Amino acid sequence: MNDETKKKINERYEQELNKGERFWPDSIFKDVVVSLGIFLLLVLLATFVGVAPEPKADPSDTSYIPRPEWYFLFLFKFLALYGQIPLLGKIEWLATVLIPGIALGALTLLPFIEKNPARYYAKRALSISIMTILVVGIILLTLMSEVPTVSEDGSKLLGILQAAAGLAIPGLAMIVLFIASFAFKRTTTRFFIWTTSLASVSMILISGMVLALHVPPQVEETEVAVTLVDQIVAGQDLYSIHCVECHGDDGSVDVIEGVEGLEGEKITPINSTDVLYTITDSAMYEVIAYGRPNAGMIPFGKAYGGDLSRSEIDTMITFMRYSWDDRFESPAIPELFPPLAEGEVPSYDVHIQPIVKRYCISCHRAGKENNNYLMDTYEEILTTGDNAAKNIIAGDENSYFLQVIQEHEIMNPEKPDEVLIGVMPPTRSLKPNIIDVFMRWIMNGMPQTAVDAAALFTAP
Amino acid sequence: MWKNIYLWLDERLGLNDMYNNLLDRPEPKGSWWNTLGSASLFLFVLQGLTGIFLTVYYTPSPDHAYDSVQYIMEGVAFGWLIRGIHHWGATLMVIVVFIHLLRVFFTASFKFPRELTWLIGIGLFIATLGMGFTGYLLPWNQKAYWATTVGTQIAGSVPFIGELILKSLRGGPDLSALTLQRFFSAHIWIIPAILAALIGVHLYLIIKHGESHFPTKED
Ligand code: HEC
Ligand code: HEC
Ligand code: HEM
Repeated sequence: MNDETKKKINERYEQELNKGERFWPDSIFKDVVVSLGIFLLLVLLATFVGVAPEPKADPSDTSYIPRPEWYFLFLFKFLALYGQIPLLGKIEWLATVLIPGIALGALTLLPFIEKNPARYYAKRALSISIMTILVVGIILLTLMSEVPTVSEDGSKLLGILQAAAGLAIPGLAMIVLFIASFAFKRTTTRFFIWTTSLASVSMILISGMVLALHVPPQVEETEVAVTLVDQIVAGQDLYSIHCVECHGDDGSVDVIEGVEGLEGEKITPINSTDVLYTITDSAMYEVIAYGRPNAGMIPFGKAYGGDLSRSEIDTMITFMRYSWDDRFESPAIPELFPPLAEGEVPSYDVHIQPIVKRYCISCHRAGKENNNYLMDTYEEILTTGDNAAKNIIAGDENSYFLQVIQEHEIMNPEKPDEVLIGVMPPTRSLKPNIIDVFMRWIMNGMPQTAVDAAALFTAP
Repeated sequence: MWKNIYLWLDERLGLNDMYNNLLDRPEPKGSWWNTLGSASLFLFVLQGLTGIFLTVYYTPSPDHAYDSVQYIMEGVAFGWLIRGIHHWGATLMVIVVFIHLLRVFFTASFKFPRELTWLIGIGLFIATLGMGFTGYLLPWNQKAYWATTVGTQIAGSVPFIGELILKSLRGGPDLSALTLQRFFSAHIWIIPAILAALIGVHLYLIIKHGESHFPTKED
């Protein structure tokens, strides 16, 4: 750039300054308004949206689908689409390093690439067009980042559409723009506007189609226990499912009963100070994750083939500490289910589900011996089991279910001296108030929701 | 009395000069698009303040990081608000800085005599992304852990030196306590120091050359 142009630029700037405003108070005023607006927005976001709770990091849980911070999502998507290209798609570093590197390099050196001193928009049609297409592409790739390139039914349609909107059209448009501006000197501004608009609009339409066609998979809501009380309760539920058969409800078992292969095995009660004082939290984590294979305790951690994640084991340890370790003072834990008033009918959602989770699921889930009686959902409780027809009969006190929880075995009708179903749960008896809940529930026709149950309420 | 104090201070600090040089500057007719730079600055300061508060309770070790963040959310008075602002502030800062970059691009404000302002700006942009990347790992939750795993993996795909980059980011072949320590130190010391220094130069250059005007047909 010669001194002549520099002088012209400076003079032009002086002119604008003379027509302009003062930094204080004119500009500062706007700055302060915007900053205050941003602050307000942040306070609102922090208060009403907050930060979503997440489970603790678990290096062994390789089933977790990793996703980068949202502003890198477009790169991630770009990599996925790029990977679809035959041959070239195999050379990973082209997309991870070379292309982003070139883009960033060009952006950095922009003042030296676009050396021409012209500043007016129409005189910079090429760079403005390219930047517009890039920005539209980045936004669309970010929006489409959730959509897989291959749908669940194996169809590649969405992948192809995405590649069109995110790679092919923008790439093509940029090539056309380059050729137009270097090969034909007299390309009009209008041509740039049309090409850019056409490319952007078709990219937006195709992406819109992708988003409309994509059916988001049902994600299993993973609840994260945040407060201490929630953690203790969640921990107790997990403990009830996985540990009671050997260690008992309260960790006090010293001789294992009723577990195949470990019958009569003497163990140290895990609620004793011997265990709690000598095993630190991290050692406890190891014991549970790795198990005691020699002594007969199976591994529970995902890393060792079990099915508990790190957070789940941690909540269980929290439960054990706050319930049994006298160095920890437990907060008030809400009752498992709200007590019933006279004439009140319990519902599955409010009463039965938490009780079943605590006392029955440990055996009544897939992969355990239980006469095929699964108790994970309302429907399963009513319809599964080898003796499903006689298990739960609305209004019948002789339902097998009610008999076995009251410690009456069911004998086989064909062979009267053979036990068909033993008492439930096999090794301990339920408290009278829990039996009462089951009794009222079945006698009143097994309502599912609290609303259904309330309709059956009979005032005494 | 106040007048005397002011005069005394002015004699030593040069308050009047500061007023004339920094505040009472002439500027071309501004637009709301010109507030994005100072909005970035505001967010940087806000992130600094809320971040300092967070370090009071945060512990950068895999065993305690998660619980210490949980404690900030549950146990500390207004901890949730401060962390919420820091969390959303990070997101907003990336957006605001990026739009600021686009504004400068579209108005061609990076041209003579502001080329260096642009170069420093790119440094600021990269450093801002770096803050986001390193900060994301600190809560040591599932999202953080795996996002960093893939993020560092991508950096590791550079031909020839990828292995080296990967190992120096992670402090070993895998994500570990060392990685967390490293990211923490980068997040609270190294990158903020770079950002602060670059912002200083950026602002100096802006005052030196003045805010550019919006281009018209004559430019
Ligand atoms: C299949 C039976 C079984 C199950 C299920 C089981 N354990 Fe164990 N557990 C054992 C045996 C056997 C030992 C060895 C006891 C000993 O050596 O005194 C043991 C030991 C332990 C110990 C260490 C005690 C010590 O003295 O070192 C802890 C803690 C423990 N179990 C916790 C749990 C937890 C928590 C669960 C639920 C996730 C669980 N266990 C599930 C059988 C079981
Ligand atoms: C320690 C494991 C264990 C626990 C805990 C347990 N069950 Fe069972 N349950 C079994 C087994 C095993 C059977 C198969 C019959 C048998 O062997 O007695 C069974 C069978 C049943 C059956 C008969 C199913 C059919 O169709 O034949 C009912 C009803 C039942 N259980 C109810 C319950 C209820 C209600 C609870 C919770 C309060 C419970 N069980 C807790 C192990 C358990
Ligand atoms: C932490 C990030 C940043 C801060 C705090 C910051 C701050 C500022 C401020 C306060 C201004 C003057 C007001 C305005 O024009 O908005 C400004 C102008 C400018 N910024 Fe930034 N900026 C940042 C990032 C960037 C980036 C990423 C770029 C581009 C690569 C950039 C390039 C420029 C240029 C060229 C100017 C001069 C604009 C003109 O004179 O019209 N800045 N910046």
